[in-house]
Amino acid sequence: MQERGAPLLYVWNQGGQTMGDPGAFNSYYPTFLRYVGTALVLALIIYLTYKGLRKLGVKTEAATGFALITPWLVGRILLTAFPILLSFYLGFTEYNILWDRPRSLEDPLFNYKRALSIKIVTFDKDERVSIARLGQLGAAGPDVVRYRELDSFVIGDKRYVIAASDIYLLKAIWLTLRYAALSIPLGMAGALGVALLLNQRVKGVGYWRTLYYLPAVLPAAAVALLWFWLFAPNRGLINWALGPIYSLTGSEPLGWFTDKDLVLPSFVIMSLWGVFGANTVILLAGLKNIPPDLYEAASIDGAGTLVKFRRITIPMLSPTLFYTLIMGVIGALQLFTEQAFIPTDRADGWFVNWFLYNEAFNFGRMGYASAVGWLYAVLIIAVTLIVFRSSTAWVFYEGAREREPGGAKA
Amino acid sequence: MTTRASVQKLTYDPLARRRRIESIVSRTVIYGLLLIGAVVILVPFLWMVSTSLKIEKQLFEWPPRWIPDPIAFENYWNAWEQLGSIAPGLTFWRIIGNTLFITVLAMFAEMFSAAVVAYGFARFRFKGRDVIFFIMLSTMMIPGVLTRVPAFLIWREVGLLNTYDPLTLPAWTAWGPAYIFLLRQFFLTIPREMDEAALIDGANPVQIFFYVMLPLVKPAFLAIGVLAFQGNWNNFEGPLIYLNTTQLFPLILSIQFFQQSLSKEAPKWHYMMAMATMMAAPILVLFFMAQRYFIEGLNVGAVKG
Repeated sequence: MQERGAPLLYVWNQGGQTMGDPGAFNSYYPTFLRYVGTALVLALIIYLTYKGLRKLGVKTEAATGFALITPWLVGRILLTAFPILLSFYLGFTEYNILWDRPRSLEDPLFNYKRALSIKIVTFDKDERVSIARLGQLGAAGPDVVRYRELDSFVIGDKRYVIAASDIYLLKAIWLTLRYAALSIPLGMAGALGVALLLNQRVKGVGYWRTLYYLPAVLPAAAVALLWFWLFAPNRGLINWALGPIYSLTGSEPLGWFTDKDLVLPSFVIMSLWGVFGANTVILLAGLKNIPPDLYEAASIDGAGTLVKFRRITIPMLSPTLFYTLIMGVIGALQLFTEQAFIPTDRADGWFVNWFLYNEAFNFGRMGYASAVGWLYAVLIIAVTLIVFRSSTAWVFYEGAREREPGGAKA
Repeated sequence: MTTRASVQKLTYDPLARRRRIESIVSRTVIYGLLLIGAVVILVPFLWMVSTSLKIEKQLFEWPPRWIPDPIAFENYWNAWEQLGSIAPGLTFWRIIGNTLFITVLAMFAEMFSAAVVAYGFARFRFKGRDVIFFIMLSTMMIPGVLTRVPAFLIWREVGLLNTYDPLTLPAWTAWGPAYIFLLRQFFLTIPREMDEAALIDGANPVQIFFYVMLPLVKPAFLAIGVLAFQGNWNNFEGPLIYLNTTQLFPLILSIQFFQQSLSKEAPKWHYMMAMATMMAAPILVLFFMAQRYFIEGLNVGAVKG
């Protein structure tokens, strides 16, 4: 099932042939000219907006302010809003990367159906599960979309097979969600633990902090390569360290990234090593911001360490915890770079972002990728909003009443 | 003498003594835990550097050898030689040139445009400003999956695929909401009298921006510079999608290309680790030189957001 191959990665518009090398100078120089040109055009837009607004009778201050944010506005209209609308449209079409234009689908909703169709097919207990009996969803261009087995269970003398038209997508979503659910809380708890230790008037806090922050600075690509090597089933350092356990229990060395059940833990362990430090630094800064007199007052009232932790540290730190949680959710659901350096099996080891990239650029299904992209974006935003809504229940803002909405204190 | 006497007296106080023992125990536990953590962090790191200096034979030595013998510095050169034999013309210096070209151009444009936009948001009142600012912050939540395919098609339509344009030109439009936010917070702390005084002296807004404002927000400006450098140096998705000709590849994409070209049976871990170390080295140097800006950039969102 390894559809992830090197030759496919770089084929987009020359039918499999790479373009020629224009040479160093010829690849830098035209871009540099256009780079300078873009800056000049944007400066001109700022100037003309200002002049235009002044002519319309807008006050100098307002005209200047609005003119200054036009670069952002232009960029977001051309490079964010327009692409989003375009991708919505593409979601209802079929578009191979080698084609010039998208083609319309017989059933405009086909891409969405392809992503979401699930059904249960009953078999006799001893009957072989045949793909033919699972049926097919229909055809988009050359490919016929068949139902495939996602899972099955037996009740009585019947076997119930859960079949889906795109099992890879559902598996990718399931993997990504489990990854987020595991890596975020573990990462936060670990980082909180280290931050609490460093907050105990430890000597050389600065050095410890630098040390713990180090992995977070490493490029994701380097982290991924390093852990792929550490987890190498054949004589990686981790399997060497676990050697005594293997020989004690007489088990085979674990396959880590190559084992379908261990892909997830491997990614989680890697992420813990990498993300720990950033959260530690943020949480430590949060801990230092808690006024010490709160603890003193609590001590006088006879509060123990645990009570102080639950009643002072956690509430006072909750905005910081909330921030790391949001950043964690956004990061975990969009994991991409690491995956590119760790070849895993398509059926069990692909995260959604990597799945989407391959659908669009390697498997020639840009229309389908756009539709799934929309579904996934809705999922990400829904999860983020749920986290935001939950914050009212557990995040404690000291000066909440004085604040304007959106944190804007102009 | 008196202090000594009091210390003597204290040691005989059973309660104080218990407390001191408790404190010694808790200190030991704290430092012990911190040390374990330090080992967990450092061992993979050292393993990366150690592997990168090994000759191929010693890669799979059992038990693992920590200090390579001989120390194969030539890996750092041979890795690129071998890559060059797969992709002719993709030499080490070409890769460095490509990477720096993208990184520096995008970084400069990001810093500069973020400063301009943040200045607009922070110092001038206009209708709808707070709404636009809120919209700007919420664009952080838009997942990249929504814009990846259409952005590719737009660049294809204007005929600029396989150039560095998609990786550098958009940086002029202040595409990082976090940078704008960080700089705006800094602009807000500067007293208004500063610009008013300059205005009375006959400076125009452009002059005020360059000569009064930018020098005053220098720490934040450098902090986003560090973040932007790091972000563009590590950017993988952009080059992967937009670049086709191997000779145009920046460091990160060259490494991935090299990794894909190697067979699964002989992954050349010493070369991969040498490349990973080189990928990490400039960021680590930057980190040790400008640690405070890294931490500044990290904390501002958390504390002030």
